[in-house]
Parts: sequence; structure tokens; C-alpha cells
Amino acid sequence: MDVQTANANVSRVPFFRFLNFEIRSLDNLHAEAEMTFDDRHIGNPVMEYYHGGIIASFMEATAAIAVQPDFADVPAKPINLTVDYLRPGVKGPLFARANVTRKGKRMASVSVITWQTDREKAVAEGLYHFLLV
Amino acid sequence: MSDITKKKMEQIAQMWNARGKGLITHMALEIEEVSSEGVRVRMPFNPDFCVDADQTLLHGGILTALLDSVFGLANFVAIEGVSTMATLDLRVDYLRPAYSRADVIVRAHCFRKTRHIAFNSGSVWFEGHENAEIARGAASFALTRGGTDLFDAMTKGKTS
Repeated sequence: MDVQTANANVSRVPFFRFLNFEIRSLDNLHAEAEMTFDDRHIGNPVMEYYHGGIIASFMEATAAIAVQPDFADVPAKPINLTVDYLRPGVKGPLFARANVTRKGKRMASVSVITWQTDREKAVAEGLYHFLLV
Repeated sequence: MSDITKKKMEQIAQMWNARGKGLITHMALEIEEVSSEGVRVRMPFNPDFCVDADQTLLHGGILTALLDSVFGLANFVAIEGVSTMATLDLRVDYLRPAYSRADVIVRAHCFRKTRHIAFNSGSVWFEGHENAEIARGAASFALTRGGTDLFDAMTKGKTS
């Protein structure tokens, strides 16, 4: 699936519009996306950091797209997730890259990393499991 | 909530109301119960949080965000003198598809607190279906003590 079609699918999902992100690249086992900062994403209003739940949601969305690029028809069912928060997500764009580490007949395991200005300085890392049946 | 002082309750209400912007305001969370045993919060149905065009299925991410928020509240209630609180890690199990337009109820508590770390767990269900949890989560938070109290920072806009 090409990036343009995938982004058209993204724009049809209410919660994805709430997160406000775009897919930047997509292939069989990877997806990269960029989320635009918005006041509704704030978790700490004093420091204006991203809410941890928004970061986890963005990572879950990117992971689901990497697993099932045609998610508009057959969405992957999330089973569970683990997120490690490494640095605060400050006001500004947030990037995510999802790698499908294993995709079987029934299950998929996806690792996701998010960063802002430097890919080497992760904001959070996550591991997501999906049910494909 | 007899074991929570009136002052603390006023602080909680004030802190919640001081959040003019941000996700918690957008989720329109209502605190239903607060005690040292834990907190119970309601999130009204919001079509923005759905994944399907019919807007009847909530995205798991919003449940994760809800748990993260309510863990923070449970810690604020359970621990005195915290100046900053940051989520270290978060684990969520999605137990059922979140198909409903009912309000979401979450119950969370801090089951262990140390000088530096707080440990939390919580459950999520649709109102009236407490026996059919849709998600369960656990988290740990890093705490900083001393300096500007978290409550003062939240309500008076001081950075800590």
C-alpha cells in the first residue's frame, strides 16, 4: 500500500484525527509517522509536555498500521502493550517508527520507538501485541 | 472519603479545574470517589475517541491514556509532598473490544509508594458492566519530593 492511500485511511479514523498524525513511510514490516503537537495532547499543563497516554496511543496507531496497512478494512486487534517512558515529550512534532518483529498467522509483535529532534534520544519505547484473527 | 482531609479534596478539585488545556480537560473526566484506597473516575463517551466510522468502538489508546491520568490522580491523593511525577512505564491489557457508547469508569490505586517510586494498578469498564472489564493496567511512576509542591505548580503556574 502506498503512503497516500494509507494517509487517506488514517483521515477516516476519528481517534487518528484527534491524534493528528501522518504516515511518512510504509513497507511490509515498518511504518513511520509524524504527529503534530496540539494543546489537547498536553499531559503536564505547566511544562506543556505530551500526555503519556497520547504518546502510547500514537505508538499503538503506528504499530497497528505497520501490522495491517489496510486497517480500514481489517483492523488488527490490540492485545496488550508495554511502554517505557525515557524522556519528556516537549512541545513540537513527535516521530514514531514501528518495526514488526514477528508476524505469524494469529499474532504479531511490534516494537515502536518515538523521538523528537534526535532519533538516538528516544522519548519512549514500546512493545505491542496484536491478534490478527 | 472520610480518611481524606477536606483540604486535600479542595486541592484535588482546584487542580482538576486549573487544567484549562490538555488531554484531561478534553476527556472531561469526573472524579466520583476519592479515598486512600483509591480513586474512581468517569469518562463520558466521546466520538472523537472512536476508531470506526459508526463511532461505537473506542480506541485502546484512549483507555491507556485514561489509566495513565487516573494513576497520576491516585498518587497525588496517596502521597504527600510530591513536586513532580513522571510515568516510568505502563502496561495495559485490552481484555475485550471496547464496543459501547456508555460512559467509561476507571478505578485505580497506588498499591505501594517509596521515596522515589509509586506503583499503581487499575481497571476499566463501561458503566453498569463492572463484571466485564475492558482493560486492566499497571504502571510505575518516578517521584521527586521537595521544592515546589505539585499542587502549587499546577494551580499557580510555577514551574518546578
